Amino acid sequence: MLTQSLFYFLSFLAIFSALAVIIAKNPVHSVLYLILTFFAITGHYILLNAQFLAIVNMIVYAGAIMVLFLFVLMLLNLNAETEPQKPAYIKIAGVVSGGLLLLVLVGALKTVDVSGAGGTTATDMGLVENLGMVLFNEFLLPFELASVLLLTAMVGAVLIGRREA
Amino acid sequence: MSWISTIIFLPVVFLVIILLLPSRFREWYRYITLGTAILQAGIACIIYLRFDQAGSDGFQFLEKVPWIHLSLGNLGRLEIDYFLGVDGLSAPLLILSAVVMVAAAISSWEIKENMKGYFALFLLMDAAIMGVFCALDFFLFYVFYELMLLPLYFLIGMWGGPRREYAALKFFLYTLFGSVFMLLVIVGLYFSVTDPVSGAYTFNMLHMMDAANFVPGAVFSPEVVQTILGVPARLLGFAVIFIAFAIKVPVVPLHTWLPDAHVEAPTPISIILAGLLLKIGGYGILRICFGIFPDSALYFSWFIGMLGVISILYGALNALAMKDLKKLIAYSSVSHMGFVLLGFASFTTEGTSGALLQMVSHGILSTMLFFLVGVLYNRVHDRFIPNFRGLASHMPHYTAFVMVAFFASLGLPGFSAFIAEAFTLIGTFNSQSVNGLLPRWMAIAGSLGILLSAAYFLWTLQRMFFGTTRFRGGEAWSKQLIDLRPHEWAVLLPMALLTLMLGIFPSLFFDLSNSALANMVQELFETGKRHLDSLQYTNNLRF
Amino acid sequence: MTSLIIVSVLAVAVLYLGLFKYKTALLPVSVTGLLAAAAMAAMDWDLEKMYFSEMMLFDNYAVAFSILLILTTLLIFGLSRNYFEKISNNVAEYYALMLFALAGGVVMVSFHNLAMLFIGIEILSISLYVLAGIRRKDPASNEASLKYFLMGAFATGFLLFGTALIYGATGSFNLAAIASSGAFESALFRAGVLLMMVGLSFKVSVAPFHTWTPDVYEGSPGLIAMFMATVVKTAGFAAFLRLFLMAFAEASAFWAITVAILCILTLFAGNITAVFQDRFKRLLAWSSVSHAGYLLLAILAVGFSASSAVLVYTIAYSLASVAAFGIMILVSRARGNDHLDSFNGLARTNPFLAFTLTLAVCSLAGIPLTAGFFGKFYVFKVALAQGYTWLVVLAVINAMIGIYYYFKVIIAMYMKENANAVAIQLNPGFRLVLSIVVFLIFLFGIFPGLIANIL
Repeated sequence: MLTQSLFYFLSFLAIFSALAVIIAKNPVHSVLYLILTFFAITGHYILLNAQFLAIVNMIVYAGAIMVLFLFVLMLLNLNAETEPQKPAYIKIAGVVSGGLLLLVLVGALKTVDVSGAGGTTATDMGLVENLGMVLFNEFLLPFELASVLLLTAMVGAVLIGRREA
Repeated sequence: MSWISTIIFLPVVFLVIILLLPSRFREWYRYITLGTAILQAGIACIIYLRFDQAGSDGFQFLEKVPWIHLSLGNLGRLEIDYFLGVDGLSAPLLILSAVVMVAAAISSWEIKENMKGYFALFLLMDAAIMGVFCALDFFLFYVFYELMLLPLYFLIGMWGGPRREYAALKFFLYTLFGSVFMLLVIVGLYFSVTDPVSGAYTFNMLHMMDAANFVPGAVFSPEVVQTILGVPARLLGFAVIFIAFAIKVPVVPLHTWLPDAHVEAPTPISIILAGLLLKIGGYGILRICFGIFPDSALYFSWFIGMLGVISILYGALNALAMKDLKKLIAYSSVSHMGFVLLGFASFTTEGTSGALLQMVSHGILSTMLFFLVGVLYNRVHDRFIPNFRGLASHMPHYTAFVMVAFFASLGLPGFSAFIAEAFTLIGTFNSQSVNGLLPRWMAIAGSLGILLSAAYFLWTLQRMFFGTTRFRGGEAWSKQLIDLRPHEWAVLLPMALLTLMLGIFPSLFFDLSNSALANMVQELFETGKRHLDSLQYTNNLRF
Repeated sequence: MTSLIIVSVLAVAVLYLGLFKYKTALLPVSVTGLLAAAAMAAMDWDLEKMYFSEMMLFDNYAVAFSILLILTTLLIFGLSRNYFEKISNNVAEYYALMLFALAGGVVMVSFHNLAMLFIGIEILSISLYVLAGIRRKDPASNEASLKYFLMGAFATGFLLFGTALIYGATGSFNLAAIASSGAFESALFRAGVLLMMVGLSFKVSVAPFHTWTPDVYEGSPGLIAMFMATVVKTAGFAAFLRLFLMAFAEASAFWAITVAILCILTLFAGNITAVFQDRFKRLLAWSSVSHAGYLLLAILAVGFSASSAVLVYTIAYSLASVAAFGIMILVSRARGNDHLDSFNGLARTNPFLAFTLTLAVCSLAGIPLTAGFFGKFYVFKVALAQGYTWLVVLAVINAMIGIYYYFKVIIAMYMKENANAVAIQLNPGFRLVLSIVVFLIFLFGIFPGLIANIL
């Protein structure tokens, strides 16, 4: 019972703050709402018994990335006035296509069989031990290749960021 | 390597030689080209002499080498052969091509700039034209057909007159418009026809011409009506290929590229355009449209005849109004090629033979006519009819050849065009009583076209050549307008003799093609009729 | 697999060469490494080996496309001498990034698991975001980089969301497991297929997700644009087809109509806009959009030698693009810009370049006896065999439009004069690569069986 009320509360929080991210005029407020969203999602992970993901989500997203966001925003000194105005037809097109996408997704999710067919039903899947087993057995190759991905990103970041001699 | 491959690839060999020769030998290029053309003409003579005239309804000099063979998984195998041969229909046109090429090579003496490029492209086009007339694999035919376009595009676009870019692109896009859709029909046919021996799908045109090889239920099957986008498939396939070739012929109203291309093209290219390219259109219609879709040809015959009549009259009336001598001749080509269409549509042996002879005869005459215009244009860079008067006394030899060409073209007895047009009209006239396809008034309208052609040729003769000598350019022009040079004689005299010979001994030509055409027309009519009856289209196009 | 390792290690080795300033060794080492990688890939022919719990499957499809990607990169490297030096001091890093991108491409053509597809696409994309922005002082290059990054990130979002939904519907990332899951009717699966389609369409610039293409091609350095048009497009389409062939083929009745509509939109958007371009690079960018349309036509014919058709088409397209972009680089370097007027009189000053470019655009336009003709013919044929007559008719109309704009550059080169044009100097690398390309376009045009029989 407690889990269920917690779930509904976290869901409400996640959706509300996600909406607030895009509605808020002030970019700094947006980022703060985004942090709130990440916290709500972290809560969901804990409810799903996925502690590792929860911690990682907290540290990486809510911690590191969001702080970076805030720094950049403050350095750029953005505010409501500098926000570019889009023409009306683009807004309408955006609403229509976004609405269609929502329709497809809602339609798809409504038909889902919630009894758990398909995906895994194991409840201790998200524990560090099990995650490690999967990551270093079945998904070893993607894990290793992710290092190439990170190296690429690192080389790229250095290349763009470094002062040209 | 047999004679046909030799005649096709000889120019390619010399093309490579020209490309390899450094440009300080540029004077050699034209001799190499002329030498190639003469060699080809020699091979054409050999083919003429060795051609078995009694058995001309079958293909001779056959060559077949596998070219592209791939496995398409569950679609079967794709087999494209390098498959060549000539019969009584293509042999005369192949020989005509060799002859016209010599004339075009000689008239290429006028080309002075970027000779390496010019002669290389010229030889490439030469090879492709020969290939078109000999290819018996539809894919191969298409490759040669397209291959011929690209050099022509450059030859008009780089060595042409002031509006050459426009004319070249117009010519190219018009022809391509027809041919890309033809490619779709080719693929459709490929999926409809199987090789009777191996059972694989095939591009072989001979198999396509035999109704027995069509897969039952395939798109172009002649047994049951299949539809593509709501239109009966065979009628649509015929129409698409017919339009592709009708643009080439050209048939009114698809002719508008022709005057532009001719006006802008240099003389040798005009000669090839009129002398050979238009014939490819006619050849394609008879060999491919009629050969593969005889039922649709019968179905549309009234319509095709009508297009022929319109071309004859419209071309002639336009020619009457032209002030540019080259444009006048271009329109006279439209008019003369109308007879070809009329003859084909009649489905009679006389009409078809006449139409084929008309193609050969027009090939020779248009070579002469365009060459004559070139002679004038090279001397004073002007070819407007009102700017010249009394050329007869100033250039008597030139005038003599002009008179031969004009009189031959307007159908004076004794020249080839007379026999050709007479046979065509006889065929058309008989059509109503023999097979009931074309009404008699079409023949009468056709003869009206001959009358009109007499009018514009004679009127031009009177305006330009008779009367007191007076030129727009005055004294300067009289000095420049010297009479024929030796190399001009070398083109004009053989051509004049050839048209005379064909006019007096038409059997030189008829022996080559007669048995082929007689059989072919008979067979096409019968199979076409049989399929048309079994297909039972709901509405009839005969008005 | 060995080839993937070689390419990745090679990239790191090149970085070390840069660290120790062995600039002259960069090109020889890269070329040797790539040749070795291609050879190792060829050794896997017909082995059909699975690697690491079915993460990768090196079947003939993967081998053929890997070799194509590696050899195309080799051709591009052949043109790269003295190219990056003009832009930046950090030459080694650019070679390394291109090699990393190639490694991503190899993963994309050999994946057997959606996780691998994602990682492959990301490795490829991230390298390109950086490469597009090489010219840091040039605002156009910055814009290209940023635009590509934002659009690419967006596409990745779609791709991931689609992957998640498909996992939800089938319970697996494995292509074979997805294909045999029998969940094709479920709405979740279908939504997943559509979202993945959107994500991949972004990457291969299929309309209406193509809007980044012209700006990014134009802003990026010529050689990088060439890399995008050839290697990236080939890898993208190979991945697209592999996914739809191996995982979604059974559900083709559902997605075929969507692909058909995307195909028409792409063809018309690409070709009609290309007609109005007067800069050659933009023209090529729009034409690359239109070629995506022809390739979609082959994807429609899933199972009916579609892979062979895509292979033939991408080989022809890559060869022609290398030549066209290469000559564009030379001309814009010598004459200041890539406007079509800059090509005026090229036939007189550089007959070889003019001839090569003519051959390349003829191949792009699909004129017979060039490789491109057989590519188009093959694609049309498989689509016709599937009964998409109306689609092929529209594609043929587009081919006509294509010929019109491709010929604009031929007209400029051969029929327009430029009095003060001087001959453009070619370095030996260009001469060699362009000669190879000319030879191959002719070879595959006259004997298409050589490439069409591979798969």
